[in-house]
Amino acid sequence: MTIPPEMRDLAHRLLAFEAAADKTSEPAMSAPLRVYEKLRQSLCALAGVAAFQSIAFSALTQAKSEAPDLWAVRIAADGSLEGLGEFETQPDEFEPQPGSGKEQAGDGGIILIDHVLGLLLIFLGQAITINLLRNAWPGAFFDDRNAGNGRES
Amino acid sequence: MNTQGKVTINQLPTGVPGLDEIVGGGLPEFSFNIIAGAPGSGKTTLAHQFVFANVTPERPALYFTVLGESAIKMLRYQQQYTFFDPAKLPDSIRFINLSQVVLEQDLGAVLEEITREVTNANPAVVIVDSFRTMVRKPQSDMELQTFIQRLALFLASWQATTFLIGEYAEDELRDNPIFTVADGLFWLRQTVERNSIVRKLQIIKLRGQDSVPGLHTFRITDAGVQAFSRTFGLTARKRVPPSGRRLSFGIPELDRMLDGGVREGDSVLIAGSSGTGKSVLATQFIAEGIRQGEPGIVAVFEERPQAYAERATSLGLDLETPQKEGKLTILYLRPLDLSVDETMHSILDAVQKIGAKRLVIDSLAGFEMALSPGFRADFRESLYRMIFALTGIGVTILSTVEVDESFTEFPFSTYSISFLTDDILRLRYVSIEGQLRKIMVVIKMRGGNHAKDIREYEITSEGVVILGKRLANYQGLISGIPVRSDRPDSTEKPSLDTGIEHKT
Repeated sequence: MTIPPEMRDLAHRLLAFEAAADKTSEPAMSAPLRVYEKLRQSLCALAGVAAFQSIAFSALTQAKSEAPDLWAVRIAADGSLEGLGEFETQPDEFEPQPGSGKEQAGDGGIILIDHVLGLLLIFLGQAITINLLRNAWPGAFFDDRNAGNGRES
Repeated sequence: MNTQGKVTINQLPTGVPGLDEIVGGGLPEFSFNIIAGAPGSGKTTLAHQFVFANVTPERPALYFTVLGESAIKMLRYQQQYTFFDPAKLPDSIRFINLSQVVLEQDLGAVLEEITREVTNANPAVVIVDSFRTMVRKPQSDMELQTFIQRLALFLASWQATTFLIGEYAEDELRDNPIFTVADGLFWLRQTVERNSIVRKLQIIKLRGQDSVPGLHTFRITDAGVQAFSRTFGLTARKRVPPSGRRLSFGIPELDRMLDGGVREGDSVLIAGSSGTGKSVLATQFIAEGIRQGEPGIVAVFEERPQAYAERATSLGLDLETPQKEGKLTILYLRPLDLSVDETMHSILDAVQKIGAKRLVIDSLAGFEMALSPGFRADFRESLYRMIFALTGIGVTILSTVEVDESFTEFPFSTYSISFLTDDILRLRYVSIEGQLRKIMVVIKMRGGNHAKDIREYEITSEGVVILGKRLANYQGLISGIPVRSDRPDSTEKPSLDTGIEHKT
């Protein structure tokens, strides 16, 4: 599956948003894991655990082919991730890198979030996906017309 | 509480165009309903329409899915309908998959899970899709009945309006306890007749209020389910008493034959074979109405509106301007699989939109051919309902019908629908002096006098022109092969039939 550039951009922004939050609190989880967790809770509330789990499993399978460092990651029965905690990407690494075309080693978390968002876009459409994100990140602003324009309020 | 101390049952909009009228205004709040039907009959879509019409973030909907269509796929497909409002997600609608508890545990656990979710969410609407799948595992009748009753009681006490969706067969109606417990039972039918799909819904039961009985056509479009009531939405409308006013054809001689014109609110049938000028008369009737300030509708089935208007222009009648001014609508109704009820809906919408006083249906044969084969069997009955409904609100209907020219009989129509019409005007060819000429005669005018004369007419660039004299010097005109008699042509004024039939 090819991830639309705007989804990739949105994934970076969500990660940057969570990474920025790291600075104001003592995070118990890495930024990718927290983004994933918020997506999980949001979609589980709407469509149930089974729905999220199937999307997460598909996203992880696709992400593994692009990011070998995800090889040990698994999806638990409740849709949560096991094995992503060791990602220690720094906040400024989540800034978009237009034109780079390839993610760097250690970017598995970003790639996974890319794929989850991509699948949400495919199955739920942009409007519902944006609503889910708004629910999960009430402090962030997402532009319906261009998911790639998501930015902090 | 009303003044008599009775419980007031609020009615909720169904969100399905046409269905509120069928269920008597809306669905009873807190009712426990079943939507039954075969796969693909629109059950899930109907439920979604109800959900989107009624939920709020404070009183959301819980949509329980069981082993059927997953929530993700359901969302993917349902959002293609125009009623689907993404803004209501995720706050106002939640999907909960009960497959695991259904597969691994008993009905008690299922009820416990539903109870937990409902208690947490305080929903206004609860859907279980499919309930049939939920209770598929073998269990005793008593266990099943207990489960259903406890579920119904619990959901009602939580003030939730509930739909259980299931693929049930009609022969299960007698034995399945679910149908006993349900307050409302909506049955969706879908049959294939020749190459057409015919969809009909029936409200088999609805506690607490009257619904319109019988089978109602419905269609699934990009707007979702749309229902067409057998009563055309006119049940509650007061019938307009006959005014006695006469409506002119704009043909003075014909008006005289009709003792001043067609009575307002009558159903007029113009019967004749091809080329006798039925459509010309119909066009003159509608054009004269517009000239007198009476908006009109022409429902055509055999030619395009543009062609219809152009033909009127050739008769010196301008149908283009009144269309632009909103005084005339020419409806072209020829989609595949059309039902009478849908046609009626289109006509009624147009009538109400421009306040039409005259309606032309040109022709009944075209109307019938435009229908799905499955609906043709009901054509006469549907026509009766249509005419009754429209004339009841004061619309004067003129229908044309083609009849086979016969030289041994004088049929009025091939539909045996003369009982549906107040007035019948018959046109036919006759062979006179080596020419094929045209004659007309008023066969019937319920509740009024009419001329008995058989008149010759021609179709000219000015439309139908009735020639000066009645054909008194011919015998056997209605046979089409008259014999000349010695009696000279009459110069008398048209005589009026003394027999007056009273409109019933």
